[in-house]
Amino acid sequence: MCSDTRDTDEPHSSSQLLRPGEVLVIEITPGDPRPIFRQIVDGLRRSIARGALPPGSRLPSVRGLALQLRISLNTVAKAYTQLIEEGLIESRKGVGVFVCEPKQRLSEAERLRRLDEAIESLVNATLSLGFDTETIVERLRTAHAPLAQPTPDDTKQS
Amino acid sequence: MKHDQPEADLAIEIHGLSKSYGAKQALADLSLAIPYGGIHAVVGRNGAGKSTLFHIMLGFAEPSTGSARVLGQPSHALSPSVRGDIAVVNEEHALPPWQSVERLCALEQNHYRGWDQAIYERIIGLFDLHREQRVHQLSRGERAGLAIALAMAKRPKLLVLDEPTLGLDVVANQAILESLLLASTLQDCTLVFSTHQMNEVERIADNLILLDRGRLGAYESPDSFRTRFGAWTAADLPIDRLQEIEGLLQHRMIEDRHQLVVIDRGPTVVPELESMGATQVTEDPITFDRAVNAFLHRRIGERVL
Repeated sequence: MCSDTRDTDEPHSSSQLLRPGEVLVIEITPGDPRPIFRQIVDGLRRSIARGALPPGSRLPSVRGLALQLRISLNTVAKAYTQLIEEGLIESRKGVGVFVCEPKQRLSEAERLRRLDEAIESLVNATLSLGFDTETIVERLRTAHAPLAQPTPDDTKQS
Repeated sequence: MKHDQPEADLAIEIHGLSKSYGAKQALADLSLAIPYGGIHAVVGRNGAGKSTLFHIMLGFAEPSTGSARVLGQPSHALSPSVRGDIAVVNEEHALPPWQSVERLCALEQNHYRGWDQAIYERIIGLFDLHREQRVHQLSRGERAGLAIALAMAKRPKLLVLDEPTLGLDVVANQAILESLLLASTLQDCTLVFSTHQMNEVERIADNLILLDRGRLGAYESPDSFRTRFGAWTAADLPIDRLQEIEGLLQHRMIEDRHQLVVIDRGPTVVPELESMGATQVTEDPITFDRAVNAFLHRRIGERVL
């Protein structure tokens, strides 16, 4: 009676509910200053950018991911909504949530605004650390280059 | 304003509720409207009124003034059928220690029409329980898990849990949180639980019910609560002008650095600090835990080093 639904006897870890072959690994870290929905958005965005979740991949349902990560449905729904707005994933009614083909949905002005916003927070966070611009740019290049993909807009321009 | 008409879409509806025990006022003019569904976490320091709120919600205590309705009825005069829709899990409502898990389940199953065996097994499956074990042989966490499984199998509309994770080890703690999420997602049940663990609230609660000295401090999602706070570090801030800073909850000095937590200010606090002479004002990330702490424990002018 009791053992039917138990997956394993091992202590519960966040990877336990992943099925074999699933690549979705998101860590919700206690003490991380980012809110949990932001950790999910960042984690999924990163997995998509790295190609760990290629276009067409099916994501867990809101309920599935909530139970997998042991977080509230609302938090997962909020993260998915944001990624849908960004055009990274799409919800196909009755079928599931899927990773989109890369496309650029934001206007040029909005993209620049978001870039400036991100840069401003980077500048604020690093101002007091005493690094020169060269070092910061070099480190940024190392972190960013492997993730950067040409967008449809970029290819049009070139 | 009259509040006699209950609102149909509210699981719990409290208006101007005060409760005193002798000279001690446990709740002061508390109003709260909890919709059906979702997980609601009651948080507050010891003595903030959590137990009193639970007692009134369950009809164990009558309001001194004000009103409390639960599932549409006055909480001190619940009909037997509504009473049957409310499940409680706490240490006081202990399960019979001599009974085996299997026998307990069978007994309860016979008593309830509409018993949901599937959810019972889903929840019990999160714990390392064996059907022939007796209640007194179970650990604290397993007993809580069994209580939640038995409660949810009766398809309650409201499940109230008083500190379900108190004193549990990390494995049992996660199993309890998972069972609450299962209970909330698999059935149309409104969950209200109290806890002192802010990471639990941040993870699984749709709403935070923050009690502060018998009053309602906040009722909103944990994330929206957190975004109301800002943590700042600054130098050269004149101590004698701290009282002027609107929304300042905590201030302390570590060597020559001032650390501040402010509420409902956003970046408008920066020009204010700078106009007082502060320099090198930078924003630090703030965790949910620290936000709750700052709200409940206002400290200004503390010098650490």
